[in-house]
Amino acid sequence: MIKKYRMIYDENLCIGCQSCSIACRVENNVSDSFFRLQVRMETRGIFPSLSMQFSRHACVMCENAPCVSVCPTHASFQTKDGLTHIDERLCISCKYCIVACPYEARFINPHTKAVEKCTFCFENRVSKEILPACVSICPTEALSFGDLNDKNSTVSQKSHKNYFTFPKEHLRTFPKVTLIPHKKGIKS
Amino acid sequence: MMNVWGNMAQYEAIAWSWEIAVYLFLAGLSSGSTIIGLLVKWNRHERNTYSIWDAMIKSGAITAPVSIFLGLMLLIFDLGKPFSFYWLFLSYNFNSVMTLGVLFLLIYTPTVIVFMVLVFEQTFVKYRAYILIEWLIDYIKSFHHYSKIIEYFLFATALCIGAYTGFLLCAIYAIPMWNSPILPILFLTSGVSSGIAVNILIGLLFFKSTMSEESVKYLLVLDLRVILTEIPLIGILFIGMGYEGGDSLVALKDALSTGLWAFIFWFGVIGVGLLLPLLTVIIALKSHVYRVGYIWMNSIVVILGVIMLRYYIVYAGQIYTGQ
Repeated sequence: MIKKYRMIYDENLCIGCQSCSIACRVENNVSDSFFRLQVRMETRGIFPSLSMQFSRHACVMCENAPCVSVCPTHASFQTKDGLTHIDERLCISCKYCIVACPYEARFINPHTKAVEKCTFCFENRVSKEILPACVSICPTEALSFGDLNDKNSTVSQKSHKNYFTFPKEHLRTFPKVTLIPHKKGIKS
Repeated sequence: MMNVWGNMAQYEAIAWSWEIAVYLFLAGLSSGSTIIGLLVKWNRHERNTYSIWDAMIKSGAITAPVSIFLGLMLLIFDLGKPFSFYWLFLSYNFNSVMTLGVLFLLIYTPTVIVFMVLVFEQTFVKYRAYILIEWLIDYIKSFHHYSKIIEYFLFATALCIGAYTGFLLCAIYAIPMWNSPILPILFLTSGVSSGIAVNILIGLLFFKSTMSEESVKYLLVLDLRVILTEIPLIGILFIGMGYEGGDSLVALKDALSTGLWAFIFWFGVIGVGLLLPLLTVIIALKSHVYRVGYIWMNSIVVILGVIMLRYYIVYAGQIYTGQ
């Protein structure tokens, strides 16, 4: 059966510990000073009413992916399960997908010169029914991952209980990564 | 700067840099000079008494293949994997403007080369190597009954090349300044403007004997009209960004008011590239005297302006995304 993958990032549970980012580098051998994943933090408000805002930056696996439609050689392609991957052999590194990606998720691997990005750890983990590295390491369970078609999965259950937003929803890219937005806000 | 979450360099890097800006200029120039060469051929030829080929047609015939060739070289060497470019010809994605561009270029580039060989046949005949292409030229000449149709075809492909460079950027909805349907028209118009300027310059430099004042005057009037079209097109591009609101509006304000790129826009694109040529063309035409000095000056500022427009759109577009 076709999977309907979903990754949920709960901004309320994230503590900005960066373990997901480290786990990603180790699992995928990401080159030094390049990132498939970053969790950035920002302090908002005026003392003493401060709040910490975390934001996760990585490929969001668009249903309607601009990188796939602009790629001249089909090096960026979508699988039946709706995940976007890169065929390094076909990639000529024209960087059209890098400019087309609204999420700044792509970069050039300095060794292979091909374009690289988050794969949801598909080949090394998800295809073997193991959670992506970032999800499995998260100490606060801010990240959850699974199949929406499976009614018992964490993501299905979380989907029923929470209010979600999609990153840059107005672009109608229909990402597979959704956010549970920061609820605490700032007292003004 | 290092943050807790790591180096931001990869997010701040400009993916498409000067190679792309110069390529966009060269492709526009190639298409413009072909269009201008053909327009002179169709509209001015019977009035030219000097030779079979007016200097403007000769300049167009030489500028078009040379500039598209240089542009394509730049494009290939801008690739992260230059030697894998052949995949462009093996694996097509018809949703991608880049693939469509490859197809247009596959038709356009050989056609302009043939056009050049036909226009300069008398020159080529002198060389021994001509024997190698003689059969091809003779074969092509056997179609001379269809010359008008071939010229229309070349004109149409030149229009496609000029416009596709705009669509290439226009397809990117992540970048507000690029995601505008005005861009293809703007690039086509400014390409024609650079075509006029370069054709006149090449004519003055190499084909002075076949240069006709009438044709130059015709082109200067045309340039005046093209520039007067370009100014509102640039206005519409920004007005569109403003009405789009949100990120686009922020991008618009930043791009027109911050740093080096705002200066390049106001001083380079608007001042040097549009207002100065407007002034010189009006002076050159009004005085009714064929003043080479003015024409030189006019052509050079137009070319600089068109290059700066491409640089501005490519860089400011990527830098100011309104986020």
